[in-house]
Amino acid sequence: MAGPKVELEVRGLTKRYSPQVTVGPLSFEVMEGEFFSLLGPSGCGKTTTLRCIAGFETPSEGAIALGGRRLDDRPPHRRDVGLVFQNYALFPHLTVFDNVAFGLRLRKVDKAAIERRVGQMLDLVDLPSLGARYPAQLSGGQQQRVAIARSLVLEPSLLLFDEPLSNLDLKLRIQMRYELRLLQRRLGKTAVYVTHDQTEALALSDRIAVLSQGRIEQIGTPSEIYERPASAFVADFIGSSNVLRARVRGDGGPADTAVETEHGLLLTIPRIPDAAGATVTLMLRPERFQMAALSNGDAARANRFTALVRDVTYLGEDLHLRVLASDRQPLLVSIKNSKGTRAIASGAAIDLAIDPEDIHVLRR
Amino acid sequence: MGRGQPPPYWVLFVGPYGLYLLVFLVLPFANVALLSVYLHSPTKIAIAEFTTANYSKLWELYYANLFFRTLRLSLAVTVVCVALGYPLAYLLARARPRSMTLGLFLLIMPLMVSTVIRVFGWVVILGNEGLVNQALRQLGAGDGVRLLHTEGAVIVGLAQQSMPFMVLPIMASIERISPSLEEAARNLGASWGQMFTRTILPLSMPGLLSGALLVFSVSMSAFVTPALMGGRRSRMVGQQIYEEVLSAYNWPGAASLTIVLALLMLGLVGLALWASRRRARLETAR
Repeated sequence: MAGPKVELEVRGLTKRYSPQVTVGPLSFEVMEGEFFSLLGPSGCGKTTTLRCIAGFETPSEGAIALGGRRLDDRPPHRRDVGLVFQNYALFPHLTVFDNVAFGLRLRKVDKAAIERRVGQMLDLVDLPSLGARYPAQLSGGQQQRVAIARSLVLEPSLLLFDEPLSNLDLKLRIQMRYELRLLQRRLGKTAVYVTHDQTEALALSDRIAVLSQGRIEQIGTPSEIYERPASAFVADFIGSSNVLRARVRGDGGPADTAVETEHGLLLTIPRIPDAAGATVTLMLRPERFQMAALSNGDAARANRFTALVRDVTYLGEDLHLRVLASDRQPLLVSIKNSKGTRAIASGAAIDLAIDPEDIHVLRR
Repeated sequence: MGRGQPPPYWVLFVGPYGLYLLVFLVLPFANVALLSVYLHSPTKIAIAEFTTANYSKLWELYYANLFFRTLRLSLAVTVVCVALGYPLAYLLARARPRSMTLGLFLLIMPLMVSTVIRVFGWVVILGNEGLVNQALRQLGAGDGVRLLHTEGAVIVGLAQQSMPFMVLPIMASIERISPSLEEAARNLGASWGQMFTRTILPLSMPGLLSGALLVFSVSMSAFVTPALMGGRRSRMVGQQIYEEVLSAYNWPGAASLTIVLALLMLGLVGLALWASRRRARLETAR
């Protein structure tokens, strides 16, 4: 196999609203069949990027190519790109059937073929018997399926999603997320998905681009983004994290470097060569702390310290603890709820451990 | 309703205006209806003797033409207002708030000027020595073209006067259509024109219909504008009623004209509403 083919290529995409408000330049590639997410807080430029691809915004600079052909000089209705809107944007005066048939009718597909393809599509999104209903008679989840069917029936080269699940309640959102993923896998459609919900991005995507203030902070697989965030922004935006500034004290062993955080906690981290005296930024995921001695990994290397519990948030499956490690360093710690955690209360002292491999050094 | 029990709350809400309408609209109108079947007398204006003469007289060619002309001119005004008002309404509905406020102000401003003054403005523009004729003369394109006192002048005057009644309801209904529907249609392969005829136009139909009904009604009953801008051959029903009352002192005749005009309008408006209801029911069958 010659490796995956690039389906969508965005090069130096820039949109200037004013000298202060600028998106880009952004560059990324989406492979054929890939589920690619643009993730970031509101105002980061993710929706602007999507709208540039769909043709509803004109980029100030840069190029967009789909399947090797320039896209940005084509009007929105000649782009072969399907867009699923946040508010579904179903036509309220048309039935579900007519909504899905809308694009086919514009393409002068004959009547029998429209019947067949719309029928297949409604089966695919699991709404086979609702063709005669009007959008106002459907639930939010059903409306979203119709919107997806309406785009899919045209077999576009690229599917764009603009926060399609954000108007649904939590349970439905999780179910739709799962169905969306299955559907995209089954059809092998290339998808670009815009969201501000990091869980959604992690659950759905093959790769994620994290955006902040019009710039790409990091592009990577969900685990790369989560485990090895490129910046403090990514570490903070994806999941919760402890971002600590620390000074390198010297080599701690053949594979280790010893550091001291600005609040005086001594830690062993994976070796950084010749860095004595340098300042580094560390990222520790709250769920990587353990209460008992480390059973796996290199137990001898583990960081151990006593921590004073200042606050406990009970979340059922997990407990979130705010602790002071070694009397000085505030940390956020997440531990699984179990028999041994019952005694934990504000004011208790607990022993914590963390593997050096679970301490990530941020590049910026 | 038992004794001492308070009347249902809606009576309190509707009551005062209902009373007002009863005293100042329903009763006078009933009086007009009564007058329309009374005998006309040149000396006593009306004699309390029942007759159908006032109505049968309306079959005469003069009156048939009058009604037909009134309908035709009102329809023309409505068409002009739709053609000129719809694009404006669309633009305003999709404009930024500040431009929209300014546009609305400019649109409604003429309503703050009395009809007589506005018509006088048209006289200055369209008259024999008016701006248009002066310009034509300068260009050598005509000398003293008769613009004022024509049906065209009446249509122009009425259309200008009733434009806000067309633009406002259309604008309100377009404003309620999410711009994302337009984008969805474009995204599904519709050119701008296809998008417009398949989404915006059908969805703004209620507004278009109310606007058309308003403009049509205002034009049907117009009096000042056709009187001052129209000629002898472009007389409308409103003028005729005015003259029957004040010049001919034929109040029963004026009354029969009034009743027929009112019934005609009621019938047409009712028909239009029924048609739109039917349409709406077909669309949102629940």
